[in-house]
Amino acid sequence: MEIARDNVRNDVFDTYLSVKFELMKYLKTRRLLIIAALAVIVPLIFYVKVPDTAGVFADNVLTFLNVLIVISAAMFAGDAVCGEFEKKTNLLSFPTPQRRSSIFAGKYIAALLATLLLVLLYYVVMTLQIAQLYGWGAIPTELGKSFLTALLFSAAAVGVVFFFSAILKRSISSTIVGFLFLMVILRVVEGILTRVNQEPWFIVTYSAGLITSVLGTSSSLLFGRGEGESTLTAFTPHFGVGIAVMVAYAIVGFAAGMAMAIRKEE
Amino acid sequence: MEYAIRTESLVKRYGKGFTALDGVSLQIRKGEVVGYVGPNGAGKTTTIKILTGLLKPSSGHAYVNGIDVTANPREALRTIGALIEVPGVYDYLTPREMLNYFGKVYRMSGGEIDRRIKETLELVKLSDWEHKKIGTFSTGMLRRLTIAKAILHKPDNLILDEPVLGLDPEGIRDVRELIRQFRNEGMTVFLSSHLLGEVAEVCNTVVFLNKGKVVSSDSMDRIGSTMERKVVDVKFLKPLSRDEIEKLRAIELIKSVDVNDNTARLLYDGQPDSSVQILRRLVSLNFDVVSYNVESAGLEDYYISVMGEEKGGN
Repeated sequence: MEIARDNVRNDVFDTYLSVKFELMKYLKTRRLLIIAALAVIVPLIFYVKVPDTAGVFADNVLTFLNVLIVISAAMFAGDAVCGEFEKKTNLLSFPTPQRRSSIFAGKYIAALLATLLLVLLYYVVMTLQIAQLYGWGAIPTELGKSFLTALLFSAAAVGVVFFFSAILKRSISSTIVGFLFLMVILRVVEGILTRVNQEPWFIVTYSAGLITSVLGTSSSLLFGRGEGESTLTAFTPHFGVGIAVMVAYAIVGFAAGMAMAIRKEE
Repeated sequence: MEYAIRTESLVKRYGKGFTALDGVSLQIRKGEVVGYVGPNGAGKTTTIKILTGLLKPSSGHAYVNGIDVTANPREALRTIGALIEVPGVYDYLTPREMLNYFGKVYRMSGGEIDRRIKETLELVKLSDWEHKKIGTFSTGMLRRLTIAKAILHKPDNLILDEPVLGLDPEGIRDVRELIRQFRNEGMTVFLSSHLLGEVAEVCNTVVFLNKGKVVSSDSMDRIGSTMERKVVDVKFLKPLSRDEIEKLRAIELIKSVDVNDNTARLLYDGQPDSSVQILRRLVSLNFDVVSYNVESAGLEDYYISVMGEEKGGN
């Protein structure tokens, strides 16, 4: 019993060390700086055309957040597993008294933390913009809900890219495949299902629509053809289902990625 | 007896077709410096990867200080320092940043990490580079840095896989000096190499591996005596006269004499006692002996004799 407790304690500490080491690497490679700069600069672009209400402004700014989250997930999680093998740094880090699971869990958490930092910065900048343009009182109360949804989508996106990093051999492949999967493939499937009047409720990028749809503005609706040829049905993700789908993608992506990463041999 | 490193019938199969290790059993005593040699694909790196927890054996066991590496890797790996192949390094970090992380992984205290970073970097002659980006290092410096990482936590056992691969002569000399130093400090060193010269220079025992099997294992001393060629090369102060040559031929232990100016090649029965007696006779006969060398075949000849002409398995 005591040994098992010791092992858990050691695993947790090793994961913490791995997270810290990864974050230091992000800082040293300036990846964190680049993503932080994007989080600050992108919302500023929306000064170009300021809408009448704070809700619409938030909706406009947040529409682009999904893309940034996917970019961040690809940047940070793309090389999490395969990078170790590709660059042969595993020959330094594996023959040490720490489990591979701790190393890789640390890498997932670090990639997630970096993406969460992006999301946090993005919301802070946007909130300050709203306060400056419309006054503090105009800040939509649903913004908190939207923020939490963005955090969940971050976990899902990082999980998906982490999985690709565990099954592919090269960092560049997993980064590109992860990015294309979330940005193109899932969206194409989403589009096809909508076109045949099926709600793509199980597609994580559709669920990510909650980030803006919880604000209650119309631009977040996805239109599909109804039963009659000329009618269009508006799809909007159900909050509970959307949250469950994002959680599922995060858990499955992480768990499957971990299972593959631990078994991976040179 | 508890061995520093021990393997029991280690087998590693890849898929259905290829067996990289086929029942390898090794016993390495504490403080020994063991060379692990064999052709490419013999299974040297596979053995080392199993010993360091990078691979799991298909069957058999690997123990370090009596601890099963597969069953209890955390405890086993705490006592090992390893340099495997040519590992990747974190180009954008400094040696201090990299070693600081590994120090924490080994649960060293902050003060201990600081002290050991200074000590190890000094040992591998990288003190002046402690705060420089690793990306600017030469191949030799990188290899020394990875050795510093391997010994940071003062392991009992050091496992080195082809440590001089790709190094220039100066780099090779530096690494060889380091291994000698570790040997003098009583560390157990398990050195895999296909460079027999390196092994002959630093090891006291050699294990020969071919096609995943141990084909021979012996001490360097015994290998040396096995490979004596029954020839003594003697150099005299001045060229030998006809009388002196006759005197040489008259020594009963000498089977034949081949004289060339002031040197003579003496063929005898190859026994160490005979060699001593021949030298005594030369001195008693007032020969001015400048040098006396029992010629023995090198490790290369021994290697060829145990491996035959066969090449490795993959």
